[in-house]
Amino acid sequence: MAQSKPLTRLTDSRVWRSVFRHGWPDNPLDRSLTMTSNIFFHLHPVKVSHKSLRWTYTFGLGIMATVLYSVLVFTGILLMFYYVPSVERAYPTMKEIQLSVPLGQFTRNMHRWAAHGMVLVVILHMARVFYTGAYKPPREFNWVIGVVLLLLTLGASFTGYLLPWDQLSYWAITVGANIAGYAPVAGPVMREILLGGTEVGQDTLIRFYTLHIALLPLSLVLLISVHLWRVRKDGGLAANDVPDAE
Amino acid sequence: MNDAPMNEEIFPKGTGKSYALVEMMRGESPMVGKGPEKTVFSFPVVLLWEILILLGVTLALFFFSLVKQAPLDAIANPQVTTDPAKAPWYFVGLQELLEHMHPTLAGIVIPGILVLFLVALPYLDYSREHAGVWFSTRRGKRIAGWTALYAVVAMTAFIVLDNAFSMRELLRGAAPAWVAQWLLPSLILALIVLLPVAVLWRKGASVREIMIALFTVMLASAVVLTISGFLFRGPGFEMYLPWQMPDGYNPWNDF
Repeated sequence: MAQSKPLTRLTDSRVWRSVFRHGWPDNPLDRSLTMTSNIFFHLHPVKVSHKSLRWTYTFGLGIMATVLYSVLVFTGILLMFYYVPSVERAYPTMKEIQLSVPLGQFTRNMHRWAAHGMVLVVILHMARVFYTGAYKPPREFNWVIGVVLLLLTLGASFTGYLLPWDQLSYWAITVGANIAGYAPVAGPVMREILLGGTEVGQDTLIRFYTLHIALLPLSLVLLISVHLWRVRKDGGLAANDVPDAE
Repeated sequence: MNDAPMNEEIFPKGTGKSYALVEMMRGESPMVGKGPEKTVFSFPVVLLWEILILLGVTLALFFFSLVKQAPLDAIANPQVTTDPAKAPWYFVGLQELLEHMHPTLAGIVIPGILVLFLVALPYLDYSREHAGVWFSTRRGKRIAGWTALYAVVAMTAFIVLDNAFSMRELLRGAAPAWVAQWLLPSLILALIVLLPVAVLWRKGASVREIMIALFTVMLASAVVLTISGFLFRGPGFEMYLPWQMPDGYNPWNDF
C-alpha cells in the first residue's frame, strides 16, 4: 500500500507517533502491533484461524450481542438526559421524549428493539455454543461466565421494563416480582428486597433504575470483557481445535 | 569509574550474544498434532467482519425503529389491573408454567434446576471429543432433531390437555392439593425430560449425546411455553386462538 506524501507526513509526525506506537499496518509486524498496542483491539488475537471466520459456524451471534449492547448503552445515555425516575415524573417524561424531544421516539424505539434483540441473540448465542460443543474443556468456565451474562441480560431487560411506568410495565413487573415471592422461606423477603416494599412503587422505581443504568451495565461490561478475553486465552473459538483432516 | 571494568565483565559489549530465560518442561508444544497454520491477521480481516456486523445490526434496528413504535400504555395505575397482566416475553414461559402447577415449583424450583443444569453442564460433559463441530456427529444432529420434535409435541400436549382437563379441578377433594400441584406435574415433566435420556442410555449414547437431548428438550419446551403464553393467552390468561382473542386484545401490543 503506497502512501501519499501528506499521509506520510501525518503518520510520521511526532503527535501521531505519540498516539499510535506502530507503523502503517501493511506488514505482519505492524499488523500484530496494531492489535496488541491498542486497548480496544487487544482482546482480539493477532491472528485467527480461517475456521473461526466461517459464517455458518458462529452466525456472528456473539458480536451481534456486543453490538446490541453498545447500541443500548448509546441510546440509553441519550434517554437518561430526559427521563426522571420518579413516580410523578417518569410517565410525563416518557411522553415528552416521544412527543417533543427531537428523535426522542426514534431513540426510544432503538433502545426497546435492541433490548428485545439482545435477549434473543444472547439465547441464540448460547444455543450455538452448546450445539457446537464449545463449552468443553478448556472453555468450561467461560461457558459459566456466559450463563451469568445471560442472567444479567435478562435482569437488565427486566429492570428496564418498569421504567416507562405505564400499565404494561407496572403489571408485568408485578407479575414477575410475584414469581420471585413464591420461593420457599426466602420468597417474601426476596420480593421485598427487589421491590423495596410490599408493592411496586417509588422505591421499586429507583431500585430498578439504579440497577438498570449503573450496576447491571457495569457488571455486563466487566463480564463481557472477561468473556472475550478468555475466548482468546482458551485458544480462540472451539472450531480451531478441530483437526484439519475434517 | 571504578566499577566500569566489572560491568564490562558481567555484561560484555558487542559479543553478538542474546539471552533469554528458558526452562524445559513436560508437555506438548502448542503446535503438536496440528496441521500447517491457516491463519489470517486479525487486522484488518476480523475488524472488517465486525464492522460489517455492526452496520448490519444497526441498519436492521434503524429500519425496524422507523416502522414500529415502542408501546406506551396509559400511566401506571395500581387500582386497575390490566387484563391479561403478562410478564415480558422472556418470562412469559414461566408464567405459562405457573398455570399448570404450584407457583413455587414453576417459578423457583424449575428455573433453579435449569440454571444449575447450565452451570454444571461443562463439568458433566468434559470430553473434548468433537468440540467445535455442530451437533458433534451426524448422530448428534439426528438426536437434536428428533428430541426437538418430541419435546414440541409432548409439551404442547401437556399444555393443551392440562388446560382442557385441569388436574387441579379433577383431583379437587379426591386427593390433597399437593398431589395435583406438586407431585403429578413434577412426575409428568420428569417423564417428558427423562424419556429421551432413557432411550439414549439403552442405546449406549455418549454423555455428549445425552446432554444434546437434555438441552434440546429444555430449549424446545421453553419455546413452546413462551409461544403458548405469549400468543395463546388472552384476558384472564385464558387460552384462545391468537386470531380469536376477545375484547380486541392483541398479544403483539404487549411486546
